[in-house]
Amino acid sequence: MNCVELEQSLAEVESVGSVEQRAHLRACPSCSALVTELNQIIAAARQLQGAHEPSPRVWNSIEIILRQEGLIRPQRAGRPIVPSFSTRWGAARWLVPAAAMLLLALGIYVRRESLPNQLAEHAAVTVPVANPSDLNDDDLMQEVAANSPAMKTQFEENLRQVNESIHDAQGMVDESPNDEEARRSLMDAYQQKSMLFEMAMDRSLP
Amino acid sequence: MAAVNKRAAKLVAIGVIVAGTLVAESRKEYHFAVGPRAGVSVMNPYGSISVRPSLNNTVVVNAILHSDKVEVDNNQNGNRVDIQSHLLAGADSDSGRVDYEVLVPPDASVTLHSDTGSLRAEKLHGDVSLEGPGAEVNVRDISDAHVHVKTMNGAVNLDNIQNGHVEVDSLSGEVTLKGVNGPLVQVVSTSGRINYIGDFGKSGEYRLTSHSGDIDATIPEWTSADVTARSVRGEVHDDIPLQPKTHTYFALDKGRAFAGTVGRVAVSSTVVLRTFSGKIHLRKRSEKQ
Repeated sequence: MNCVELEQSLAEVESVGSVEQRAHLRACPSCSALVTELNQIIAAARQLQGAHEPSPRVWNSIEIILRQEGLIRPQRAGRPIVPSFSTRWGAARWLVPAAAMLLLALGIYVRRESLPNQLAEHAAVTVPVANPSDLNDDDLMQEVAANSPAMKTQFEENLRQVNESIHDAQGMVDESPNDEEARRSLMDAYQQKSMLFEMAMDRSLP
Repeated sequence: MAAVNKRAAKLVAIGVIVAGTLVAESRKEYHFAVGPRAGVSVMNPYGSISVRPSLNNTVVVNAILHSDKVEVDNNQNGNRVDIQSHLLAGADSDSGRVDYEVLVPPDASVTLHSDTGSLRAEKLHGDVSLEGPGAEVNVRDISDAHVHVKTMNGAVNLDNIQNGHVEVDSLSGEVTLKGVNGPLVQVVSTSGRINYIGDFGKSGEYRLTSHSGDIDATIPEWTSADVTARSVRGEVHDDIPLQPKTHTYFALDKGRAFAGTVGRVAVSSTVVLRTFSGKIHLRKRSEKQ
């Protein structure tokens, strides 16, 4: 018996425990792991079932209807490897592990594809805006002109200097993306600009 | 006779003008009883603010108003006192000026704000926060407290700050620290010059950075510190022999960077001096300083 045959036998036959199946499971770690996982899923399902179990009358009613429809048959003798999985899930019982395997494979693929991008993002500390040092500068100067006209020249000069420092610091980061000091210099430069904005907004002229 | 009359008339006119000016100025005084660790804030667009310790748990505010185009709003909320200069219609930087002298309990936390006037705080051990675009800031004799300073182009002078958590942000004002030490001493400037005169304490983190301003640190020979200095486009000089570091995460370009230890490694502060285009000079303090 090979792996495909084992899977088919688990899907087609309600209760299993044949010599061939057991022999294959002893020799095949992959199929053995799959059966173990299925047993774990069943155990977990039982716990959930226990928490939200409807009354026995409900199950009895369902069982009667399913037997009348011919969808379930009496259980055969023999100790099942996967005891109740096939009875509860029917043909769809392979969807769960298949879905789990598919998700795992997808996750590995996505992670592999995104890892170089993550490294690049971590290394290149760039601001997404095209020209951040000019962002809202006009608003700042309008605020200063309205609220502190006497200090307009000083604000203009300091704004020019801080934009220059941002430009220089950004250049350093672009040159050496892994230079922590360069990144810190850029952060300091932005904080200085932020402080300038705060000072411009925090006026109290009548 | 006519000449004497003319002269007398001029003297009278001058006297009237001076008297008018004096009458326009007015003094106000406020008293507030507070508990331990009170909070006091003074917001004053034009004029100076000076804070000194009081002898008891009272906040005393003396305000000199330079015209009737400004009034003083005062408010106490529990252990918090707020003083604000309220500018009236027609006020400008001269007529809206108020000069404050404030006495606070030594453990009070103080926040001062003035656009143009000088800000001064001394002999306190509560947190001190001083802000103002053009304000000159002077802080001295503070211990065991946080000191925060933010200015645009006002000069900043800190003198004898012991065991302090000091943060200074000044865009273009010159910053001078004399006898300032503590677990954290940080100065960030865009184009201002930074002068440090002291010994970097026994342990602490000292970070002096200016984008284009020069950085001068003058220290005695017995200083214990782990120093790194770097200028991307400018020059660096050290007058004190250092035990050089063999591994740094940046290139030690001669004349642009140095890294090493002064004094005892086991008990030392960490000192970082950084500038993009300014000069860095680590000087040895002479006995006279």
